[in-house]
Amino acid sequence: MRALVLALRDLRLEWRGRAGLLSAFSFIAVVLFIMGIAFGPDEANLRRAGPGVLWVALAFAGSMLASRAWALEVENETLDDLLLTPGSREWIYVGKLLFLWLLMIVMGAFLLVLVAAWFYLPLAAWPQLFVTLVLGGTGYTVIAAFYAGLTVRLRARDVLLYLLVFPMILPVVLAAVKATLGIAFGAEFAEIVSWWKLLGVFDVVYLTLCVLLFPGVIEG
Amino acid sequence: MADPFVEVQNVWKRFGRQWVLRDLSLAVERGEVVALLGPNGVGKTTLLRVIATLIRPQRGTVRLFGKPARALEAERGRIALVANPPAFYRHLSGEENLEQALALAGRPIARAEALEAMARVGLPEGRAVAAYSSGMRKRLALARTLLARPQLLLLDEPETALDAGGREELVRVIGEVAREGAVVLATHDHGFASEVATRSFAMGAQA
Repeated sequence: MRALVLALRDLRLEWRGRAGLLSAFSFIAVVLFIMGIAFGPDEANLRRAGPGVLWVALAFAGSMLASRAWALEVENETLDDLLLTPGSREWIYVGKLLFLWLLMIVMGAFLLVLVAAWFYLPLAAWPQLFVTLVLGGTGYTVIAAFYAGLTVRLRARDVLLYLLVFPMILPVVLAAVKATLGIAFGAEFAEIVSWWKLLGVFDVVYLTLCVLLFPGVIEG
Repeated sequence: MADPFVEVQNVWKRFGRQWVLRDLSLAVERGEVVALLGPNGVGKTTLLRVIATLIRPQRGTVRLFGKPARALEAERGRIALVANPPAFYRHLSGEENLEQALALAGRPIARAEALEAMARVGLPEGRAVAAYSSGMRKRLALARTLLARPQLLLLDEPETALDAGGREELVRVIGEVAREGAVVLATHDHGFASEVATRSFAMGAQA
């Protein structure tokens, strides 16, 4: 329950400040524009590049948002107050994760539409694309929220976050790109499901580990 | 004999190569208001954060309410730390900050309660904390303390930026908390310390 309160409060803060969302959406627009020019105008090229562009843009923009989720506490100097709340501290991680996950899903849906328009991703298969987005987005946010919390007190946190997160999320990005490619090129449903299963296993394992480890890593 | 409310024993804390606390010991009994006095950089704020269990000393032990500080997870809500300046979410109003703080501590309050506490410390409703002066932030911290009803109140230079009315309210709040619990405050103001504290603890002299 407290995790939900924290996530909703962060959403309210983000909505009122809008700095993180605006940066992430601007970043996505710029990445798509540059990639569109780099791979275009040939339709076959754009179609093949689309899934990769989608997940690379989502991963980078997601890191910006993950950093933002914890930066709210640093900017307001309120991290100590969060850490002084009674009970074990897993809920702080879960609250930040929930906040980040909600933003990632909204941003991912927005990105799907843009990539469909620019890179010929078949929006007719939107239920499958959405499942891939949810599974891949979950794996990504689980890791990003954890490492953003781990580095929140460090001066070089933004640089470190990218260095720590990207090696860890390679399996997620790989599986998500493969699943999206399969959807884009009409692969067998069983093949797409096999990538979903991999993403699901990754999500469960990393979520469990991060929840268990978080109280230890956030201590001063 | 009951355990001290706060018991800091032979604590050493360093940041990088710099030792900030060296073999420091302090005991605070229920009902006491202890003023930590000393020049800048002597470790007053660090000691408050060690007592609040926010930072772990390299050596020594901290016990609160008769228990090791690390075993206090469920009872952390009995402690309140008011930093200098007090920390609040700038884009939320004063009452929203109070509601959020209490909700996250597992004790949700109604908007009316938040507004009542704000009225008591003389704060207007509906204004974002970003538009607060330093003194108004201190008053909002007092309102939060009133609502949270901590048993151990840790204050870092609480008197700074407060006007005469705010200072009177601060003295009242300290007295209220000390009736059932204890207060440890860091200050440079010897006059204020002698006004509110039952005991002063000079830091820098122990190192």
